[in-house]
Amino acid sequence: MNSASVAERPAPVSEKKPKYMLCEGNEAAALGVALARPDMVALYPITPQSSLVEHLAKLVADGRMDADVVEAEGEHSVLSVLQGATLAGGRTYTATCGPGLAFMFEPYFRTAGMRLPMVMTIVTRDGITPQSVWGGHQDAMTVREVGWVQIYCESVQEVLDTTVMAFKIAEHHDVMLPVNVCLDGNYLSYGSARIEMPEQAEVDAFMGGKDVNWHVALDPLRPMAVDPMTGNASGSGPATFVRYRKGQCRGMQNALKVIEEVHADWGRRIGRHYAPLVEEYRLDDADFALLTLGSMTGAAKDAVDEARAAGRRIGLIKIKTFSPFPIDALQRALRNVKALGVVDRSVAFRWNCGPMFQETLGVLYRLDRHLPAQSFIGGLAGADITVEHFHRVINDTEALMQQPERIYHEPVWLNEKD
Amino acid sequence: MGNACNTITFNAAQCDGCGLCMTACAETKGSARIQVLPAEDKTYALSLCRQCGDPHCVSTCPTGALTKDVDTGVIAWNGDKCVDCLLCTVGCSYAGISLDAQTRRVVKCDTCDGAPACAAACPTKALRYVTTARIYNEVRDWEDLFAPGLSGCQGCNTELLMRHTMRRVGPDSVLATPPGCVPGMGSVGFNGLAGTKVPVFHPLLTNTAAMLAGVKRQYNRLGREVTAIAIAGDGGAADVGFQSLSGAAERGEQMLFMVIDNEGYMNTGMQRSGCTPFGAWTSTTPVGPESRGKSQDAKNLPLIMMQHRCAYVATASTAYMEDFYDKLDRAIQAAKTGFAYLHVYSPCTTGWRFPADQNMEVARKAVETNFVLLWEYTPGQGLRFTHAPDNPLPVTAYLKVMGRFRHLSPEQISHIQNKIEENSAFVTSLAQSAAAQA
Repeated sequence: MNSASVAERPAPVSEKKPKYMLCEGNEAAALGVALARPDMVALYPITPQSSLVEHLAKLVADGRMDADVVEAEGEHSVLSVLQGATLAGGRTYTATCGPGLAFMFEPYFRTAGMRLPMVMTIVTRDGITPQSVWGGHQDAMTVREVGWVQIYCESVQEVLDTTVMAFKIAEHHDVMLPVNVCLDGNYLSYGSARIEMPEQAEVDAFMGGKDVNWHVALDPLRPMAVDPMTGNASGSGPATFVRYRKGQCRGMQNALKVIEEVHADWGRRIGRHYAPLVEEYRLDDADFALLTLGSMTGAAKDAVDEARAAGRRIGLIKIKTFSPFPIDALQRALRNVKALGVVDRSVAFRWNCGPMFQETLGVLYRLDRHLPAQSFIGGLAGADITVEHFHRVINDTEALMQQPERIYHEPVWLNEKD
Repeated sequence: MGNACNTITFNAAQCDGCGLCMTACAETKGSARIQVLPAEDKTYALSLCRQCGDPHCVSTCPTGALTKDVDTGVIAWNGDKCVDCLLCTVGCSYAGISLDAQTRRVVKCDTCDGAPACAAACPTKALRYVTTARIYNEVRDWEDLFAPGLSGCQGCNTELLMRHTMRRVGPDSVLATPPGCVPGMGSVGFNGLAGTKVPVFHPLLTNTAAMLAGVKRQYNRLGREVTAIAIAGDGGAADVGFQSLSGAAERGEQMLFMVIDNEGYMNTGMQRSGCTPFGAWTSTTPVGPESRGKSQDAKNLPLIMMQHRCAYVATASTAYMEDFYDKLDRAIQAAKTGFAYLHVYSPCTTGWRFPADQNMEVARKAVETNFVLLWEYTPGQGLRFTHAPDNPLPVTAYLKVMGRFRHLSPEQISHIQNKIEENSAFVTSLAQSAAAQA
């Protein structure tokens, strides 16, 4: 599909009949991919991602999606095939999780370095030993410092919508970075919900043209050497390298604005709005707050509602865009908060806390006051973080307000005695 | 630039003075224009016209009876113009033109119009008729797609392979050169200066075939004909990159995957790879009181690739460029519809420890001893030998021309010889089975 054919498509019809369907999160992701019209998808199955690639293969087999399907022999090659296709001008997609993500780490690192605007879903899964095929954020969190944009979804509908938006974000010329759409293994991957399907014509108009290798290409019509060697410190090699790294960091910072713009555009055209970076829930007059990520947020909001009904001044902050870390948006959200409970679904081994808590500590430093905060770790290896768990989080966090000078020491392990 | 010409070559080390060449010449021409004469140390010297590029015989001939044909290179003698002055015999340093005692006229070699009887009759292959001239004559007009002055080691033949291969493949291609000697020579360039005139990239050592598959598929989708080619080393292909290679071959991805097998990680300091042969010194299989070089046999990667039933698989050697060119052409064609695999044995002057001017000789000895077998395979035709020595030399003839084997014990040598027999018998059985089915 070229950009000219996009322009000729009819404008969205306002009096349309909504198209509803029931599907699991993995199918919603696959449907979002199909709407974005990629040239190539590469597949390798891994629990709990497997049904996602099955849905993709079926969409192509049924003629509902015009993409080249590569059934690669492993995740390392999955990402490598797509790198080649992107360098030849293709829009590309794949999905993985856990050990698959670990195995593709070598090309994963390089995708960001080459600024290839690929989209990859991480159906998040906990780490291994003991062997766990269940949900958790450890895989995505482990690679949070590799240069991919990482966006977490809360609902099945958000998975579909965000998957489409991810292509637009990745391919924006001010960003040109690969994007992970993270959806919680088990809870979102297999959780079924009613979704509303956008019209293809509306999505086409939203997406616009495709131009993914204007900056780096393997094309005989404009030959170039891709990824040249940088010489040693006696020459210009290190300076070249610095420009690459600085450019990546600038792309990440630009992504913050682009993610907001793309979400606003999606809202205008499709009619569904999401907080692009940080969502604030019942936060305006809150004295203390929870900080959440991903699908746990639903139960957390229920707990907040119950606590509010009991007269407690609690609010909630949910991070949607984790990488780049939304420093300013989070700082704004924390403006009136006097105690913070951060709930992570994975572990930051070096700091003895959750990774999101660790990242948040950096934002707390920017406040002109001390904000007592506590790390809670729950939902490991597929464990459910229930409303009851969040009530414990709320109680512990509220108690922090009585200890304004308290410095963080130990995490609370939510599912330890379930 | 003038034409290159086919020529008769003489390897004194292989001549046993049997004289069959002289007999064959005399039977064909009435009198022998070739002489094999005893020389020092029980060797033999050759008296034969070299068909010189700047022939003294022609320039000294007062009547124009001797002329050089610029197309064939042969110096022809015209008896009608010759006045039998014999000045030409004085001018020749090789005794290549001489007086025939019976006819009382000069005689000289005319290469039997391109099918010399002497070379055909030579039982030891000391005399050979080398027909690679056509390659030079064809190739010289194709564009060299690499920058001049690539930074290979002195005497390395990989630069030769790169230039010849890409000249043949042409500019409508995307070239992958995974980490190793090829990008080490500057294929992808340093500090932003590209070494190649076609799109070129470093894949990871591990993902060459996968990345190329993506490139090729996307161009297929766009309806553009682009050749996807890799020039890789044996380490990246046989060891850490094998998974992506095997996967791409199994899927029949359309590409030409060429491995330059120098039997180790030579670019990064001559470490052992899965293709390093038994007994070889490398920097990670050193020689000392507790170690006598590599203690395992090499992985036979081309045979493994054959078992993938690739569209085309072949082995090649730079000592046999005609053979290489035939295979390159077939591989390029095969890569349009499937996976083509070309395994080129490439002696490493630095890592194998031999003089920089001996590369071709080392490559040749590998074939003459059956250490390296030259064959090709297609799923339809099976495996066939393309160049098999009639009487293979003992492996010591190969082992002794380089330093990496100099520590070998008699037991190690006999192990290597046995493995050669075993491998040769196995590949021969494949060839026989293919021939039987044909």
